[in-house]
Amino acid sequence: MADILLTVEDLCVRFPTDRGVVQAVNGVNFQLEQGQTLGIVGESGSGKSVTAKTLMNLLPRSADVEGKVTFDGRDVRELARKKEDHFWGVQMTMVFQDPMTSLNPVKRCGEQIAETLRYHLGHNKKKAIAEATSLMEQVGIPEPTKRVRQYPHELSGGLRQRVVIAMALACQPRLLIADEPTTAVDVTVQKLLLDLLDDLRRDRGMSMILITHDLGVARGRCDEVAVMYAGRIVERAETETLFSDSRHPYTNALLRSIPRIDQPSHTRLDPIPGRPPELIDPPEQCAYAPRCRYAQTDCLDSIPEVGGVAGQHIYACHHPANTERGEAALAANLAAGETATGLKIHAITEGVH
Amino acid sequence: MAGTGLAPLRDRPDVLLSVEELTVEFPVGRHDVVHAVSGISFDVAEGETLGIVGESGCGKSTVARSIIRLNKIRSGKVLFEGIDLASLKGEELRRHRPNLQMIFQDPISSLNPRRKVRDVISEGVKIWAGSTGAWSEGRIDELMHAVGVDPKYGDRRPHEFSGGQCQRIGIARALAMDPKVLICDEPVSALDVSVQAQVLNLLEDMKQRYGLTLLFISHDLSVVKNVSDRIIVMYLGKACEIGSADELYENPRHPYTRALLASIPEPAPTVDVSEGNIDGELPSPITPPNGCRFNTRCPYADEVCFEVEPQMEAVGDDHYIACHHQVAVSISS
Repeated sequence: MADILLTVEDLCVRFPTDRGVVQAVNGVNFQLEQGQTLGIVGESGSGKSVTAKTLMNLLPRSADVEGKVTFDGRDVRELARKKEDHFWGVQMTMVFQDPMTSLNPVKRCGEQIAETLRYHLGHNKKKAIAEATSLMEQVGIPEPTKRVRQYPHELSGGLRQRVVIAMALACQPRLLIADEPTTAVDVTVQKLLLDLLDDLRRDRGMSMILITHDLGVARGRCDEVAVMYAGRIVERAETETLFSDSRHPYTNALLRSIPRIDQPSHTRLDPIPGRPPELIDPPEQCAYAPRCRYAQTDCLDSIPEVGGVAGQHIYACHHPANTERGEAALAANLAAGETATGLKIHAITEGVH
Repeated sequence: MAGTGLAPLRDRPDVLLSVEELTVEFPVGRHDVVHAVSGISFDVAEGETLGIVGESGCGKSTVARSIIRLNKIRSGKVLFEGIDLASLKGEELRRHRPNLQMIFQDPISSLNPRRKVRDVISEGVKIWAGSTGAWSEGRIDELMHAVGVDPKYGDRRPHEFSGGQCQRIGIARALAMDPKVLICDEPVSALDVSVQAQVLNLLEDMKQRYGLTLLFISHDLSVVKNVSDRIIVMYLGKACEIGSADELYENPRHPYTRALLASIPEPAPTVDVSEGNIDGELPSPITPPNGCRFNTRCPYADEVCFEVEPQMEAVGDDHYIACHHQVAVSISS
């Protein structure tokens, strides 16, 4: 096994609000090897961005964080307490979703990249600008000497995101966290940006966490994928295993609910009923149970432990899909016409409208 | 690319909506104009779903908004049941509008936050029926029920609903007018994947139940394929390819369509992934390129593409493209 770069253990993040305490992240565990890409997929509110922000030490002060984050043997939360400024932005950096809001609109692009170099590496202005120009070239920005003097509004969305990537790479990070980096751009630009991130990661031996709601992006670009639901990782496996042999009913249902390009037009979709749960005072049960076709009474009694083979394919479910136990549960539910939570279900009919 | 010409218009008795040489321009600054839509022609038959795809800035929303006259039309015709909506004004236009209703991308901001959802849905009916009688209340309940929102929540306001439910309410509002054509502008782009499928299925059910004709705009190629009978691919204000949904994905002929299909994260098997590497930026719609508008990024572009604008031509059964190099592309595939 290659060197472990990042270890996250029992991470919990809570936010006090007027309506109660929001359990945004609820016991997240994962490891990331040097040079690997981990995809985190999930719907909005599943806790994927909060996890990323916790790693980046970007949470508001009101957040209550528990758990341990270790980066190359160093305790990351200890670094935060000591206000160790030259860790974030150097060893671990982040690319955000919307390049227009993550760039300063009244500062030239080159200066914004140079600022990182001057602050963290102590470059003088001239050297920093020269380095910024070279970084812009590396991320595929045409005419870097001209672009370096332009403002963000003068660039297209794709080029702006390249500037953000250049900033993130300026100090040769070992881990890049990309939070929905291509959600705000068109599909042709998305392909070019993801190709760029892939190449850069490979050339620099960098590790990457790619957060996305797009299962296709996760499938094409990650070594391993973790699926989050209601603040927990419900399933994690090597990418191909996850997509071809998923165990958690949520992963399964998610894959079935998206329209696919290889299906004929008007193929009936198989949506997930209901919607994600509230994260304030969640009951002590499987959070997915109310929407799950496999749900049995034990799903309402306890939160399922993480099972499977550690380090290879893990899932938190009492009745995993594609196993004897799970299929028996589904068959029983289908025969009864409803699940233990009272969800009405029927056999999936493959077909066209 | 570029597709002018009336070739894609079908001569069929059941054509409900037909757009001919539609051109929309917006003035910017003192002298410039944005050429948002430049001479696009297509038609939609009754009961059909027409998908419009393209990248941001290609003019797909402008086409939709022009059809219900939400923006000014520079020239061209929008024929609905034989009447040119583009030439109508005032009261005459108002009379035709209930037939064409629209649902929008952002489900929450397209509903008035200060009003109860029951009032949001019934506003149009109240204006047109001229009364607030029991009939309309019953009809509102029925509509809410049809779109899957419990009528007992009718007195709540939009912020009390999730995004998916707000989109359902938006659909109910559009259906309340008993329209013939429903124009959907990116209706599922703001929704989570698990909710997206619910809304797509709902639209399909409503189409069957109320006999609707749909115009469906999206940048998501898989979603568009799923809902559409025919698809029109747009680039910089022009149509580049029109065809039936299955044909267009199985046998894409225009270089731009192929680039789009090669760019999706799980690319279509009918194209080579390398075709998705189209370089450069979308040219400015203020000064669009001469000749074919795709010539600045097209791997096949040659002299003729910079001089002559390609016309829409049939390349198969109900399959049209506007490209000088269709033959070369189909051989390489």
